[in-house]
Amino acid sequence: MLMLGMEDGLIAFVWVATVVSALGCVVFGGFMWNRGGDDSK
Amino acid sequence: MNFAVLIPILIVYMGIMSWLAYYGYKKTVTESDYLVGGRNIHPAIMALSYGATFISTSAIVGFGGVSAAHGFSLLWLAFLNIVLGIFVAFAIFGTKIRKLSLDLNATTFPTLLGKRYDSKFITVFSGAMIFILMPAYTSIVLIGGGRFLQESLSMNFNLALILLAAIIGIYVVTGGIKAVMYTDAFGAVVMLIGMAIFLFVTYQAVGGIMEGHNGLTAMKDLVPQALVDQGHQGWTSMPEFGSPLWWTIVSTIIMGVGIGVLAQPQLAMRCMTVKDDRALYRSVLVGGVFIFFMTGAAFVIGPLSNLYFYEKTGEIALTAAKGNVDLIIPIFINQIMPEWFIYLFTLTLLSATISTISSLIHVQATAFGQDILKTLGVKSLFGSKLNPSRIGVLIGVIAAVILAYLLPAGIIAQATAFWFGICAAGFMPALIGALYWKRATKTAATASMIVGFTVSIIGFLFIHLKESAAIGLSQAWFGKAALFPYPWTHIDPLFYALPLSSAVFIIVSLLDKRTTVTKNKEKEPLIPAVPE
Repeated sequence: MLMLGMEDGLIAFVWVATVVSALGCVVFGGFMWNRGGDDSK
Repeated sequence: MNFAVLIPILIVYMGIMSWLAYYGYKKTVTESDYLVGGRNIHPAIMALSYGATFISTSAIVGFGGVSAAHGFSLLWLAFLNIVLGIFVAFAIFGTKIRKLSLDLNATTFPTLLGKRYDSKFITVFSGAMIFILMPAYTSIVLIGGGRFLQESLSMNFNLALILLAAIIGIYVVTGGIKAVMYTDAFGAVVMLIGMAIFLFVTYQAVGGIMEGHNGLTAMKDLVPQALVDQGHQGWTSMPEFGSPLWWTIVSTIIMGVGIGVLAQPQLAMRCMTVKDDRALYRSVLVGGVFIFFMTGAAFVIGPLSNLYFYEKTGEIALTAAKGNVDLIIPIFINQIMPEWFIYLFTLTLLSATISTISSLIHVQATAFGQDILKTLGVKSLFGSKLNPSRIGVLIGVIAAVILAYLLPAGIIAQATAFWFGICAAGFMPALIGALYWKRATKTAATASMIVGFTVSIIGFLFIHLKESAAIGLSQAWFGKAALFPYPWTHIDPLFYALPLSSAVFIIVSLLDKRTTVTKNKEKEPLIPAVPE
C-alpha cells in the first residue's frame, strides 16, 4: 500500500518529517518567544 | 522575457538593495558593528540572513535539478537542513556560541575557537583554511550568478561576473556585516515569496499532493536505464542500498551538506550578531519556515516536474532538459508559471546569489584581516589606512573572479559539498568541544583540525572519484583516477574524515593533562579551564 502516494515508506516518512519539522520550528519559536531575554547572558 | 519590464524591476530592486547597504554603512561605526553587527541584530533579520546565506542559486536550481533526476530522496537533506541547520544551529549550538563569543569577546568564528583554546595557531590556521579554501565555494556561487544573468538578461558572462563582484565588493567594504545582513534579509523575503508560490502552483499543476505523488510513483518504469544501473528505483523511492547512487546521495548530498552546515563559519557567526537567547529562539520560527520553502520546496518541485513534463510532452524532466540537470528548473518555470512570476523568480535567484556571495566575502575578509593579520600583529598593509579586513574583501572578490575562470565547468554541487564537508571534518569536533566539553584541550583541537582538513583534502584529491578525476593529481602521480576501488570512489571524505578528526580530538583531550585557559581575565569563562 502506498503511503502519501510514495512507493517507499522512508520517503513518505521524510516528506511528513520535513513538514512537521518546519511546523515544529514555528511552535518552538512561538513557545519560546519571550524566554531567554537579557538576563540569560 | 520582456526587457522593457525586467530592467525597470531590476533597477528598483537594486535601488532597494543599495539603500539597505547604505543604511548598513551609516549604522556601522565601531569594529563590532562591522564584524558582528554590534551584537544587536533583529532576530528576523538574522534568521533571514542566515537562510539567504545558506541558500544559493545552486541550492535552488542546481540541487532542485538533481532532485528532478534522483527523486524525493533529497528531502532527507531538507529535513536535516531544518532540524540541524536551523533548530540545532540556533537553539542548541547558537545559544552557546553567542554566550561564548560574548564571554571571550570573539567576533569571528576562528577567533572564537582560538580564544576558547587560548591558541593563536588555531585562530590563524582556521582563518587560513577559510581564506584559502573558501574562494572555491565563493567562486562557484559567483559562476552560478554570472551564468544566470547571462541566460536571463542575455548579458555577457564576463561583464555579469565583474558586475556582480563589484556590487557585492562595494557594499561589503563599506557596510560590513550590517549591510550584508540587511540586504540578505530583503533578498530572503523575495526568495520566500517566489518559492512559496512556486511550490503551491506545482502541486496544483499535478493535481494535488496525493495525485502528484501517485502519478510520479506510476512513472517508475520511465527512469533512464543509466540511472537504474546506478541504483535508481523510482522518484518516490530511496536508491538501492549500497549502490553508487545511494552513496552519492546519502554520503555527499544528504550527510555532507546536511551535517556540514553546523560548522560553517559564515553561518555559525550569525549567532554572534544577536543580543540574547530570546532572539535565537525567535529566529528558529523564521528560519524553519524559510528553509522549508527553500530546500523543502525545491526538492518537492524537482521530482514533480517529471510528472508535469510527461503529461505535457511525454518526456521526463531530464530528457526535456537534454540531460542538463541545471536547466530543469528554469525550463519548468518557463512552462508552468505566468510571465510575471519569471520576473519574480529572476529576483529570487539574484537575491540568492548576492546574499550568499556577500556573506562568504565578508567571512573571507575577516579571516584575512582579523584572524590572520591582526592575530599575527599586522595592523596595516602597505602603509594603507584601510582596515585589513576591507583589503581582505578586495582580495576575496578578486580571487573569486579569477577562480571563476580557472575552475572547470559543472562542479557546482561538488564544490558546495567539498566546502561543507571539509568544514565539518576540520571544525566540528573542535567547535563542539569548545561549547560542551570542559576537558577539551588546545593540543586536541589543533590535532583534530589538522587531521580533519588533511584527510578531507587527501580524500578529495585521491579517493573520491568525482573530484580526484576532475583534479587529475591521482592520475598524474599514481596512474589511476582514484586510489581505491568502489565503494571508496563514491563515499564522501566526510564519512571517514569526521570520525577520524573526532577520534583524534577525544583521545588527545583525554591523554593531554594540560590546562586550557581562556584569555578573558575579567569574566568567568563560560567553560572553566580543566584543573591539572
